[in-house]
Amino acid sequence: MTDLSERDQMAYIAARAADARVNIDLETEGMTLNLGPQHPATHGTLRIVAKLDGEQIISAEPIPGYMHRGYEKLTEVRTYPQITALVNRIDWLGSFANEVPFILAAEKLMDVEAPPRAQHIRTILFELARIANISLFLGDFGLQLGALTMGFYAFRDREHVLNQIESATGGRFHPNFDRIGGLKDDLPKGWIADTKRAMVKLRDLCDETQTLMVGNEIFQARTRGIGVIPADVALSYGLSGANLRGSGVDWDLRRDACPPGLVYDKADWKVWTHPDGDCFARTWVRLQETREATLIVDQLLDSIPAGPVMAKVPRIIKVPAGEAYVETENPLGAMGYYVVSKGDLVPFRVKIRTPSFNNISIVPWVAKGVYVPDLVAILGSLYFILGDIDR
Amino acid sequence: MSSADTTVEPDAVEAAEVPVVDERREALLASLVEALGDAVVGSHIRPLDDLWVRVDREAWPTAAATLKDMGFTFFDYLSAIDWLPSPYGRDMDAQEDLVVSGAEPKVPGPVEQGYAGGDTRFQVIGRLYSIPDALGVHLKTDLPDDDLRVGSWTPHFRGANWHERECFEMFGVEFTGHPNLVKLYLPADFQGHPLRKDFPLLSRRVRPWPGIVDVEPMPGRDDNEEGDGE
Amino acid sequence: MGLVESGRMPKSVSKLLNLSRKYSIWAYQWGLACCAIEMGAAFASPRYDVMRLGVIPFPATPRQADLVVIAGTVTDKLAPAVLRLYEQMPDPKYVISMGSCANCGGPYWDSYSVTKGVDQIIPVDVYVPGCPPRPEALLEGIVLLQERIANEDMSARWKGDPIVVG
Repeated sequence: MTDLSERDQMAYIAARAADARVNIDLETEGMTLNLGPQHPATHGTLRIVAKLDGEQIISAEPIPGYMHRGYEKLTEVRTYPQITALVNRIDWLGSFANEVPFILAAEKLMDVEAPPRAQHIRTILFELARIANISLFLGDFGLQLGALTMGFYAFRDREHVLNQIESATGGRFHPNFDRIGGLKDDLPKGWIADTKRAMVKLRDLCDETQTLMVGNEIFQARTRGIGVIPADVALSYGLSGANLRGSGVDWDLRRDACPPGLVYDKADWKVWTHPDGDCFARTWVRLQETREATLIVDQLLDSIPAGPVMAKVPRIIKVPAGEAYVETENPLGAMGYYVVSKGDLVPFRVKIRTPSFNNISIVPWVAKGVYVPDLVAILGSLYFILGDIDR
Repeated sequence: MSSADTTVEPDAVEAAEVPVVDERREALLASLVEALGDAVVGSHIRPLDDLWVRVDREAWPTAAATLKDMGFTFFDYLSAIDWLPSPYGRDMDAQEDLVVSGAEPKVPGPVEQGYAGGDTRFQVIGRLYSIPDALGVHLKTDLPDDDLRVGSWTPHFRGANWHERECFEMFGVEFTGHPNLVKLYLPADFQGHPLRKDFPLLSRRVRPWPGIVDVEPMPGRDDNEEGDGE
Repeated sequence: MGLVESGRMPKSVSKLLNLSRKYSIWAYQWGLACCAIEMGAAFASPRYDVMRLGVIPFPATPRQADLVVIAGTVTDKLAPAVLRLYEQMPDPKYVISMGSCANCGGPYWDSYSVTKGVDQIIPVDVYVPGCPPRPEALLEGIVLLQERIANEDMSARWKGDPIVVG
């Protein structure tokens, strides 16, 4: 006959064994979750293969390439104006911003400078592209976290910016407006006053986003402390743009290394950073940047110089031999084009450095140990466009 | 080097009476040569713009580590250049192109490298940036044709991981020491290395596209809107 | 069941059914690239509202969808997924190919990794040209599709495969 303590021992062991059987049945370790390539939370066709332990991620591997269109090979068989039209579609939300570094690199090789009026308008359109891009981000990020209202507001107010871009360039996005030596055309009548009105509406959107979304306690609970990226890791991965500024690094290509051809020094504006490095910091920085962009546009609209919009360049453009690299502060980060020319109508090699490529390569590092819904928040706050990753 | 308000033809009319000296980049080049010694085999400076340095293949990872210690902590990109002129010409064989450019000879020219020189068909190029100094450096290295291998930058710059994978699948360059060198963009059964110059674009082989036919008139000169914009 | 299979569907019933089908399309959005933004503007923004045509853009799965709008570039890597999506949809199903990339390869007609038109994989009913097409163009495409549905002969559409149970 067993005494009490042994009976208790036996009961305890039996209970543990029962638990063990339950755990074996549940098998919480080692499930593979496939996010994408078609998924409402990814901005396009990005596939993430996540190995889970219960609800926690052990490893998350992004698999890009579902939108790989072969840009770098295509640029080797197209002339410079044709490439300008094609390159719009890399970051397809802020399209004008993709043309600018390429055109600036070609202008550097040709030793041509656009007239001041063209530089001014180019900068204004660049900032409008930034506003169009980031305002959709603000709406979309809310959508991914479950705040559906912001999506509708963003789409509605973005229409004002698209109207202005369309009336100046003819296309809602993919304007294909920049040319080597200037711009395709001058501004229509009344554009300046209309754009100022649109900027007022966009500032209202920023204020609305601040109260509704960024100030919302659910939003803060879902984004504060999630996905913290320290500054040295960010630099090692090559993160840029608001992702880097959200980790506290005070670097903005518009202020620090502005390429000749853009006139950011003619406006009085501020670079926003946030020391935390989490999802909230990145979103907050982007919101402030959008508001700052509307202020830049207002200032530049007041000071557009008169003059031609196109320098004298030959009809058929042959860029002299050489290599040039121009990097600008695009809405998604630092985008650069390395143009190798051999004096022909088409470039010899164009290497496109896209910001989202580096931004998403950090996902395996940052997604270790987070929960699946937090992965959605992290992806949303890193903000990528598939065309930018896959080129 | 700004051509202040010149509206001349783009064949560069050298207007530099006094050669511009870029002191910061010269100093950077000097300190690199001091740190790496014989490994630096070529360089080029475009004043006030950029610096190109060509290093030996064995010193490729060391150069990255040296620059990282010198403050170049931002990893910009890494890729390769295939200097072979394409055996397919510009792939624009339509009549309209020949009218513009004359009958272009189908014989491609010799293999000529760009800035900082070079001896081989393939060169790996990488760029690092220093945020406090606002300076960037382009690093190049030659790869012999029969041995397309070079050391990986991943121990020093984690962002090089994906860039090296892309370079591997596009050019066939192997990076020794890379943790996971598999295809990044292309499906697993894709054959060939697309960005090599001898990889043809099959659609253009089948039907050449008239490349120059859509030249639009200069703004302000022509009144009628002709020509497509695409 | 018997009427449609045997082809003895009365015209008035057919017209009524077609009318109800065309004004209650559930559209699955396979938004891939830039055209997805214009499709989003058409479907979700109050300015180009698509719900006034009776199209509901929010089916949860392809198995509940009547229409799929392929918007954007289809690459060779993604093509099997598009085919699988199409096969998951129940009959009668329709496909709108939106944008020049989905129509014929578009600006990437010579790329090594782009499928030159989604009609190489799945049959397409309406092609909406443009790069990107304006949201109004997509709405016109949907209206054309509605006209097509209205004039459809249901028996001709029925494939004739019997439903086997057990």
